[in-house]
Amino acid sequence: MQLRTDLTNRAEQAAYLAEALAGLYSGPPTPSPIRGGRRAALRRLRAFDARNYARARNDVAPRRNVSALSPYIRHGVLTLAEVRDSIISRFGLTPDTEKFVNELAWRAFWQLVYAHLGDQIYQDIEPAKRRARAPRRSLPPEVVSAQTGLVCIDESLQELYTTGYMHNHARMWVAAYAQHWLGVDWREGAELFYRHLLDGDPASNSLSWQWVGSTFSHKPYIFNRQNVERFSGDAFCSRCALASGGCPFDDSYENLAWRLFGVSLAELEGR
Amino acid sequence: MSAIVWLHGDSLSPNDPALLANPEAPAIFVFDEPFLAAAQLSFKRLFFLYECALEAIAGRAGSIRRGVVVDEVRAFAAEHRALTAHVTASVAPRFQRYVTGLRAAGLQVVIHEPQPFVSWRGEPPRRFSAFWRRVAAEALRPTGPGPALPSEQEVES
Repeated sequence: MQLRTDLTNRAEQAAYLAEALAGLYSGPPTPSPIRGGRRAALRRLRAFDARNYARARNDVAPRRNVSALSPYIRHGVLTLAEVRDSIISRFGLTPDTEKFVNELAWRAFWQLVYAHLGDQIYQDIEPAKRRARAPRRSLPPEVVSAQTGLVCIDESLQELYTTGYMHNHARMWVAAYAQHWLGVDWREGAELFYRHLLDGDPASNSLSWQWVGSTFSHKPYIFNRQNVERFSGDAFCSRCALASGGCPFDDSYENLAWRLFGVSLAELEGR
Repeated sequence: MSAIVWLHGDSLSPNDPALLANPEAPAIFVFDEPFLAAAQLSFKRLFFLYECALEAIAGRAGSIRRGVVVDEVRAFAAEHRALTAHVTASVAPRFQRYVTGLRAAGLQVVIHEPQPFVSWRGEPPRRFSAFWRRVAAEALRPTGPGPALPSEQEVES
């Protein structure tokens, strides 16, 4: 079936595509505020300031210093080499640009693993180094609907659902929460992300979930409330009803290692 | 002999190497109906692809379709009396299956390589840190100034 290519108004294009692709998507037929295409990609590249990236790249809120180029890189609209060349030529080779290129290299690494393993990336690549004590369960409905009551988790998921983007650090929080606190199989979480992320890529997505889970890393990734507060300022915890009691992340890493995995932090980290 | 370009979601750019190598060739992008019907991605993802595809095919005989990829690419080639489809490589197993399907259907498929980031070939190490140690020097060496960027005014508008 041939699709129209003559519409130029974005709202008209969206209304048309919603009909033309009926049955092939789920959820509301609303476009992301992030525009597709090479022109939008180049505007984003131009707008990104790599200075301070090394220090600020993990800040989820209130301000971010990430490039948000991943949707374009994932679909080949911009190549890793183009982005690397542009950033180094404009900002020089500095600790900030070196860290940025190091992050670009993760994408290259995942693609090489995918080229080597193919569809095996959907299976555990290695045995889990530690299994969470939480009983195995499916993705709970409150996670799917972003109503866990945990503002850091819910707002990260809401952003994903409304824009198709989630900050990488927030992805790590959600992936760790789902796997280690709730006992969800990484494949279920990865599938949820894949359905929504504009940069959803089989390799980057599945392998990152496995990295958090320790089936493609030395140890499970965990975080605590202190980490959330450090990288989100007042954005989440100050508005969270569970901040004054009941926050599952409000503990030391030592205690979390015992609570979640039944081992010491040193054992969790393989020391 | 005329040729077409087949665009897919891993290289959906006006700078796609297969497109650049065939500046006059008609180009097609297909929304993969069986895959998408099963995957049920969000509309945001599909619309993003649509915007990318519209820009990629602009200025040439282009077509965006919904259907079975191999069937649609074959039909498009036949409409343009083309015996060759040019495409840019992807590491996805599904891409390999479609190339096999097109060749089995009698189309010649010419595969173009995407611009490399580093020259690594073959099996990677198990850990990123080991990979980075071995590629860092090359990865940090620019090959040029990068693409021409819009002016600051255009970014803000």
